[in-house]
Parts: sequence; structure tokens; C-alpha cells
Amino acid sequence: MTVTDKDTAAEPLRFEDVEEGDTAPEVRHTLTRTDLVRYAGASGDFNPMHHDDTQAKEVGLPSVFGHGMFAMGLLARSVTDWVGIGALRHLKVRFTKQTWPGEELVSAVRVTAKREAGGEQLVDLEISLANAEGQVKVAGEATAALSAAARA
Amino acid sequence: MAFRREELVGRSTGKANILLERGPLTRFAEAVTETSPIYQRRDAAQAAGFDHIPAPPTYFFSAAEYWGAFGEEQPPDATPDPNPMGQVMGELIGQGGLILHGEQEYTYHRPVVAGERITSESEVVDYYTRPTGERTMTFLVTETTYRDEAGEVVLTARMNLIHRS
Repeated sequence: MTVTDKDTAAEPLRFEDVEEGDTAPEVRHTLTRTDLVRYAGASGDFNPMHHDDTQAKEVGLPSVFGHGMFAMGLLARSVTDWVGIGALRHLKVRFTKQTWPGEELVSAVRVTAKREAGGEQLVDLEISLANAEGQVKVAGEATAALSAAARA
Repeated sequence: MAFRREELVGRSTGKANILLERGPLTRFAEAVTETSPIYQRRDAAQAAGFDHIPAPPTYFFSAAEYWGAFGEEQPPDATPDPNPMGQVMGELIGQGGLILHGEQEYTYHRPVVAGERITSESEVVDYYTRPTGERTMTFLVTETTYRDEAGEVVLTARMNLIHRS
């Protein structure tokens, strides 16, 4: 399922409403070749391993595979869906496995800590993106500021 | 021929002057499945507290320079010669094996939005090798600092490339 319409009037996530261990709603997205082509065009990354099946098979791959930065972007979106656009202060991931067309990618976002720093109320998050079988593709951490500083 | 860490760390891997245009920001957001009106409509972005449509969190990788670094606006020292990135990657590719994007990290100081002019400066911050069985893994870490027109840092990005022989 892909979210295609969003309620921007939704209340932003508030610091006092979040506890350690809380999790964000899952985002699920089935990767398509169209995603790969669209991301190539939008990012300028035209590595043929992401759009040319013939070349991918010549080097022994089963097919084209997804851009790592697409997976990171999808995971970042799953975080900002919850904490709000503009709330991220830090985002770090490791790329652990390739993503393949046809795979369903599922996000997991969990609060590991709440703290205050630099005049902001922060939540630290453990984040990952895995396929439906649980194979982790991208994993890392994020920090977001909640119901705090004015945005630029 | 391996490189020595001290001959790489601190060296520039490039500079750029980048204009953030609205269209690429919106299309990039869509390309990572982000359909929020904040990335589609200026009025929605303003209602959410931004001056204009903001750059998505992972825009500052290939996309920012691809869409916004116009030739006649680049600094004279945009591409160092020799470029340590090219030297190291050229050497490693010549040995065969794979180059992988191992890690990517961003620190956000404030949102940047359509219409802003941003400068970037990249440098090598680490280089090391690690034996893994009969293979050697080589890690090259670069950091890019993005500044606004006032010279304030708005964003830093750190990229870790891995070569596996």
C-alpha cells in the first residue's frame, strides 16, 4: 500500500505524547521498476544497474536493483510522516542489503530515548526498512525535535 | 598500492554552488514516495511554517548538484586536481571487486527551501582498511558541509564508501 493522500491538518506529534518504546505507523511500499526509473531521473543517478536488466544480468545479478538512496528516502519519509516534515535533526543509516523490484518494503521506527538539548525537545529513534520476510535493507538512527523551535 | 590515511584526510573532494529550484524538490519528494502537499504547494509549505517548499531529507546527495549546480556559477576550484576521490576509487576499481555505499548520515541545522543558494564543500575525513578473511575492505569517508548565503551551516552530510576486493 502506498499512501497517496495525506491529512495535513493532522496534529503534529507532541513530545509529551511520546514514550520510549513507542513505534510509528508502518509504511509499506512494493518496489517497482517505475520507482527505479523515477528515482534515477529525480536524483541524476543513472547507474545502469538500477534500470537496465540486460546489463545487470550480464554481471550476474538476477535483475536491476533499487538505489540505496531510494530506500533511505522511503525510510526518511516514514519517519517524517510521524514526526513531521522539518522535525529531523539527524539521520544516519547503513545499507545492508540490496532491494529488488517486487519486494514489499516495510518501515520500522521506534523511540529509544527522549531528551532535551540546545533548547529543543528531542526524540531519538531506531529506524529500519526490511522486506516482508524481515530481511533488513537499511537500518540506522534518527533524531527529531518535537513541538519545539520555530522552523526556518 | 594502498594510500596512507594522512595523505588523504583533510583533502578537498569538491565544491559547488547549488541553486534550489522548486520543480526538482517536488519531483524528488515524489520519487521517494513522499506526497505531502508541503512538497507540492507553496501555500501548504507556508501553512506548515516554511518560507517555500523545503528540500526533502535525502535531497543532498546526487540530486542537489544534478539539478542545481550550473556550470557558469561554479567556483574555479570546484574540482580539485588531483581529486582524492578519483584517485582512491580509480585505484580500487582497477583492482576489481565492488564499491558499495556503506553508510549515509545527515545533520540538519535548519530546513532549506526553494529559491535558496547553497554552497557545498566536501573533504575526506577518514580512510582505513580492514581485513575480512582473505579479502580486504577499504573505507573512504567524506563529509560535505552546506552553507547558506550568510555563510551559516545548514546541513552536513557524511558518506561512507566501501570497497570489497
